[in-house]
Amino acid sequence: VGAVRRLACLLAREPVEREQHHLLAVALGHSPRVEEEGLGLVYLDVAGLQMLYGGETEIGQRLARAAAERGLAIQVGIAGSRMSALAAARSGQELTVVPPGQDAAYLAPAPLSLLALSDEMATRLQLWGIRTLGELANLPTPALYERLGSEGLRVQRLARGEDARPLRPWATPPVFEESMAPGWAMESLEPLADALLRLAERLCDTLVRRGLSGDEFQWACRLSDGTVREGSVSPAVPMTDASAVALLLKASLASRPPRVAVEAVTLRAHAVRVAPAQDSLIDRARHSPRMLAATLARLSALLGEREIGAPVLLDSYRPDAAELGPWSPRTSRPELNDAPDTPRPVLALRRVRPPLAASVTLTGGRPVHLRSERLTARIVISVGPWRSSGEWWTDRPWIHDEWDVELGDGTLCRLAHDGSSWWLEGIYD
Amino acid sequence: MSDSNVFLPAAHGWDPRGLDRLLHAFPAGELSEIAGPWSAGAGSLLLALIARVTASGQHVALVDGADAFDPTTAMTAGVDLERLLWLRCRGRSREAWSASDLVVRCAGFALVALDLGEPRLIRRERMPYALCRRLKLAAEQSGAILVLRVPQPIAGTAAALAVSLRRLESRWIGQPRATRLAGITAEARIVRCHAQASSLAAGQVIQWAL
Repeated sequence: VGAVRRLACLLAREPVEREQHHLLAVALGHSPRVEEEGLGLVYLDVAGLQMLYGGETEIGQRLARAAAERGLAIQVGIAGSRMSALAAARSGQELTVVPPGQDAAYLAPAPLSLLALSDEMATRLQLWGIRTLGELANLPTPALYERLGSEGLRVQRLARGEDARPLRPWATPPVFEESMAPGWAMESLEPLADALLRLAERLCDTLVRRGLSGDEFQWACRLSDGTVREGSVSPAVPMTDASAVALLLKASLASRPPRVAVEAVTLRAHAVRVAPAQDSLIDRARHSPRMLAATLARLSALLGEREIGAPVLLDSYRPDAAELGPWSPRTSRPELNDAPDTPRPVLALRRVRPPLAASVTLTGGRPVHLRSERLTARIVISVGPWRSSGEWWTDRPWIHDEWDVELGDGTLCRLAHDGSSWWLEGIYD
Repeated sequence: MSDSNVFLPAAHGWDPRGLDRLLHAFPAGELSEIAGPWSAGAGSLLLALIARVTASGQHVALVDGADAFDPTTAMTAGVDLERLLWLRCRGRSREAWSASDLVVRCAGFALVALDLGEPRLIRRERMPYALCRRLKLAAEQSGAILVLRVPQPIAGTAAALAVSLRRLESRWIGQPRATRLAGITAEARIVRCHAQASSLAAGQVIQWAL
């Protein structure tokens, strides 16, 4: 028989970074199984605590009291899943307990915004008329999977109060620090540099074993006069190369040498996890985040911030309905079926932005000569008109006739006529 | 020229073999050049190359000298727009060269395309060959495929692969009277091919329908 899962959600009313450790201390004071979800939000496993503290209401009250003693105002929700515990904590009461087995019913009237949905998913569900978690939970699962894939199933399980993911236990962040007190005073830079090299080797070894790199290295020297001299170095890229770190430290020390002898030295690293530069042997190296950020910043300065990005098509048939959106490298690989070896060859269109006013001579209702700032030539072939229109329901309706023409020099163009003026829209290339 | 050097389009549609070989011939870590007047298929060849690279899950930077890139056509050609960094230079040729120089040095882009497909952009530049040499050296460092689309050849020996395009025919559709341009048949001639392990050689001609 599986144990009934019961989770308590501690939600700070006014989350503050410096009080986060108080929230964790409250949770850890009651259960060893604690997960930190974010600023001002902590879950703890309360199953089996009844023998210690009584019923769930008493546990919840005890948690709220413990937080109040530390100056924290929190709301407590106790339920069978994270989602329902969070919804209970957000109910506005100091304590809300969802009885076992009632998670789905409790979540049913909650709005979809409780789920951290992607914009695309939220928009799609909104278009379907889904407003509450109950409506999402009641959708037929096979049809939902066909339309939204595994992500659709995941959010539906959350909406039903199903939560199979175990808690990610919170652990004290490791401190990467090494110290050395040789027992004699180091009066020159050379022995100090040697000591820093040995400390750097030990520190980098620890970082490597944990799969981390040092983003910043801070040094502190305790001087013979009782004072402390401190400094730090930040390498251009996170590193675990002890000799390189030692060189940087030596340069930093040389720029600010201690005035008196050094009795002890401490080296501390700020650790970061660096994504692998390459997923596999056949994959291309990933963008270095620092280099990419620097390059994009320089490109923005060169071309203008609004001239760089990923092309985004707008939901409109209006010609050239596209804009620039923010660009960031995608790490996911395309599905094999989506990656044809040979793409479909398509005749490219070079857009003229903005469309260029043109003077077109007609004979028998067909264009025979084009005069514009960019192109002036006899038209040898003209086909059309191809009428397009749209957005008549807005205050910016549009309608125009498109003509594909071949000029005397062989250039193929697209012209547009809006009833009064002719425009050069693009050149086929 | 021997018959084996010509890849003709199929009777209906196009010959996938010739275009596929051409797209795979653009060497990484080298400068390549696609030259041809408007409506010859040069822009379409560049688009097909961008589509092939993005479809394989890699990133592309397009330095759009004249702000002429059409995302709608690109989407139709199979370009994954989310893997494309579009740099709009709006006719500023000097900025386009500088942007190419910056982006080609940033590791992570499998393809960097510089579109200077308008004669006015080339005429403004005094030393295009020197700029091409500089870009070639940068591409060697980053390992990116660097492609230059120009109206007429300017890279000279800096280009490991140089392709010259011309249009063979135009096709029109519509009944009873044509109303739209259906496509063209393009011919690519390999002017220079110094790339190692390439299946193409100078003088080869590839034709395909768009």
